[in-house]
Amino acid sequence: MIKFNNISVTYPGGVKALNNVSLDIEEGDFVIIVGMSGAGKSTLLRTINNLVKPTEGEVIVDSKNVTNASKKELKIIRSEIGMIFQTFNLVNRSSVLKNVLTGRLSQVSTLRSILGLWPKEDKDIAFESLNKVEILEKAYVRGSNLSGGQQQRVGIARALAQKPKVMLADEPVASLDPITSRVVMKYLKQINQELGITTIVNLHFLDLAKEFGERLIGLKDGELVYDGKVDDVSDKDFENIYGRAIKSTDILGDNN
Amino acid sequence: MITIKVPKKPPPSLLTVLGYPFAIIFSIFAFFQIGFNLEDFKKNLSNRRLVTDTLFNPKWDWAIENATMALVETIQIAILASIIGCFIALPLSFYASRATNQTSITYYIYKSFLNFIRTIPDLFWAMLFTVAVGLGPFAGVLALIMFSMAIMGKLLSETIDSIDMGPLEAAKASGANQNQAVFTSALPQILPNFTAYFLYIFELCIRASVILGLVGAGGVGRIIETQRIFLRFDRISPIIVFILVAVIAIEQFSVWLRRKIL
Amino acid sequence: MSIPKQPINQRILKYTITIMIIIGSIWSASGLEITPERFLTAPGKIWILVSAMFPLDLSTEAIERIVPKVAESLFIAWAGTVIGAIFSFPISFIAASNVSKNSISKVTKQFLNIIRAFPELILAFVLLPVTGLGPLTGTLAVGIHSIGTLGKLSSEVIEGIDEGPLESIKSSGGSKINELLFGVVPQVMPTITSYWLYRFEINLRASAVLGIVGAGGVGAELINQLRFRDFPRAGTVLVVTILMVLIVDTISASIRRRIIKGRTIKV
Repeated sequence: MIKFNNISVTYPGGVKALNNVSLDIEEGDFVIIVGMSGAGKSTLLRTINNLVKPTEGEVIVDSKNVTNASKKELKIIRSEIGMIFQTFNLVNRSSVLKNVLTGRLSQVSTLRSILGLWPKEDKDIAFESLNKVEILEKAYVRGSNLSGGQQQRVGIARALAQKPKVMLADEPVASLDPITSRVVMKYLKQINQELGITTIVNLHFLDLAKEFGERLIGLKDGELVYDGKVDDVSDKDFENIYGRAIKSTDILGDNN
Repeated sequence: MITIKVPKKPPPSLLTVLGYPFAIIFSIFAFFQIGFNLEDFKKNLSNRRLVTDTLFNPKWDWAIENATMALVETIQIAILASIIGCFIALPLSFYASRATNQTSITYYIYKSFLNFIRTIPDLFWAMLFTVAVGLGPFAGVLALIMFSMAIMGKLLSETIDSIDMGPLEAAKASGANQNQAVFTSALPQILPNFTAYFLYIFELCIRASVILGLVGAGGVGRIIETQRIFLRFDRISPIIVFILVAVIAIEQFSVWLRRKIL
Repeated sequence: MSIPKQPINQRILKYTITIMIIIGSIWSASGLEITPERFLTAPGKIWILVSAMFPLDLSTEAIERIVPKVAESLFIAWAGTVIGAIFSFPISFIAASNVSKNSISKVTKQFLNIIRAFPELILAFVLLPVTGLGPLTGTLAVGIHSIGTLGKLSSEVIEGIDEGPLESIKSSGGSKINELLFGVVPQVMPTITSYWLYRFEINLRASAVLGIVGAGGVGAELINQLRFRDFPRAGTVLVVTILMVLIVDTISASIRRRIIKGRTIKV
C-alpha cells in the first residue's frame, strides 16, 4: 500500500532528518513508529502526504507517486489520507460539526462550502464519523469547550469523514493522560480492524507501543533501525532504537 | 440511511437574528441619508484639478519660512499635554480599577469620570477651552490633557484589572496599607505597559495637536486653516509631510526604546 | 557585608528618561508661555463657562436644529465604518505576511500606513472641493482613514493565528482557499469584528468634529453657538452629543464582549 523508496530528507539549514529509508507497508497494516524526539518520525509521516517533500527518493501510495504528483493529483491523494495531530488542530471557535466537515472539503465545491450548503450525504458522513468515536451528542459544541481527549476524538472523526484509505497519527496521545490515551489508541485500532484502513502511528511511549502495536518500526537519527513484530521486541531492541537505557519518561504508565 | 440519533441544531442567537438585518438596513438608511447626487458629483469632479495641482506641488521654502515656529509650537503642546495627562491618569487608573480599589463608591466615581472624559471629542474640548481660557496654545494643552487622560485611563485601568494579585496580597499580609501595597507591588507590574501607552499617546497627541489650531487652540492648525480656505494645498502639503516625518521618527524611537526596556 | 547596587545600565536609563521628561516639559511650557498659575486659574474659568450653559436651551427650535445634526454624525460614523470594514477586510489578507508573499505584504502595509497617517479632518478638507460641502465628504474622509487603521489591525490579527488547523486542512486535500476560509477566517472573525465596532465608537467622535470644515455633523453647530456666545444652546449640543456617544459606546461594548466570549451550548 505504501512504499518508501530510498527516502532522504534534508531540511534547509542542513539538518538531515531522514537518511535513505526504504520501507513497505501492506494494506490494512497497523504500524507503530518509535524513536527519540528528532529521530525523524514526524518527517517520515509527512512524506506520505507530501507535507514534507523528500530531497531524495519517492513515496508511492496506492500505486500513485506522491512525491512527484501534480497539484491536482496531490489533492486527490491527500483526500484519501487522513491525519491526526498531537495538538489536535481543531478550529477552536468553530463547532465540532464544522470541524469534522472540513474533512469533506476536497469533495465539495468551494461555493457550497462557503455558503454552508453542505450536501446531505456529506453531513451524514460527518454524523456517522462522530458516532464512531462516540461523541455525536457534542456536534454543535465549540471545539475549545471540549477536553483534550474529546478534541482528539473529533480529530479522528474529521479524518474518518474523508473515508480514507490510510490513517496517519503524529503523536496523537502525547498531550493526554494515560486513561484517555488508551481510549484514543483503542479507537485507532478499532478503525483499523473494522474498516481495514492502513494505520501508521508515531508514539514515544514504549508500553503503549507494545500494548497496541502489531508491527513496530524503529527510527534512530533518521535511519531505519528496527522493523518487526511487536511481540518479538525486547527491551534490548528498544535500547538500540533509543541509543540509551530506557527512562521513566518513555513509559506512559497507569497513573501519571 | 442513518439510524443514529442526530442532535438538533441549536437556534441562532438573538444577536445574529436581530443584529445582521439591523446592520444591513441601518447601513442602507445611513447611506441614503447621506445622499449621493451623481449630477453634483460629476460637476464637482472637475474641481479635482484644483486639489491635485496644488497638493502635489509643495512649496517647501514658504513652509519653512512661515510654519516652523508653529510646528515647534505644535510639538510643544503635544509634549506638555501628554506628559501631564498621562501622569495624572496614572494614579487615577489605579482608583478606577477593581483590582486595586475595593471601595465601591470611589471606584464608581473615578470610573465614571474617566468614561465621561472619553465621550467628548478632542476638538470639542479645544472649543470649550478656547472660550474658557482664551484662544491660543494653552487651550490646546488643556484639551489634549483631557484627551491623554481619557486614553491612558482606559488602557491602563484595563491593564491593571488583569495584573497578578499575588504580590499585592503578600504586601498586605506583611502589614502594608493599601497605598503602600499598590505602590510597591502593582505599580512595577504595569510600568512597561505605561511606557508603551505613553509613547503611543504622545504620537496621537502630535497628530491631534495639528488639528487644534483649526479652532484657534494653537499650533500649526491656524496656518493650515487660513491656507485651506484659499485652497493653497501647495502650502499645506509640506506641513503635513513635516508632521508625518516627526510621527515616524517618534514611532521608530519608541520601538527602539521598548526593545531597550523589555 | 556589601549590599549590591542596582545595575549601572538600568540606573542610567531611568535617570536619562526622567531628565528628558523634565526638560521636555520645561522647554515646552516656557515656549508656549504657560505658567503654573494659569493651571490654577483654569478650573475657575471652566466653571464659569459650564455654569453659563445651564439651564440648557431645550426649546423646540433648538432641538429641531440639533438632533438632526447629531443623527447626521451618527450616520457618517456608521457609513464610514462600513466602508472601512468592507474594504479593509480583503486588503488585510493581502497585507498579512503569512498569507501573501513578503514583498506584496510589505508594499500593502506601507500603503496602509500612508492612508492612516492623515487625520480625518485633513482628508475631509482635501476632499471638499471635489465632493462638496456636506456629509458625503465626511463619510469618505472617515471611511478612507478607517480602511487604513482597520487594515493594519486586521492584518496583525491574521498574522497571529494558529497555523495548526491550516495544516490539517491542507493534509486532508483542501485547497489554499479552503485553508483561508475554514482555518483563518473562523479564527480571526471575532477579534476583527470587535475592532470594527471599536472603530465605530472612535469614528463617532471624529464625525462629530468634521462639521467644523463643513463636512457634515454636529461640529459646526457647536462652534457657531460658542462663537455667538449662545451658551445654553451650546450646552444642549454638548449634552445631546455626549448622550449619543454614551449610548453607542455601551451597546457596542456589550456586543463586543459577547462576540469575544462566544456562545455556550448546553448539551
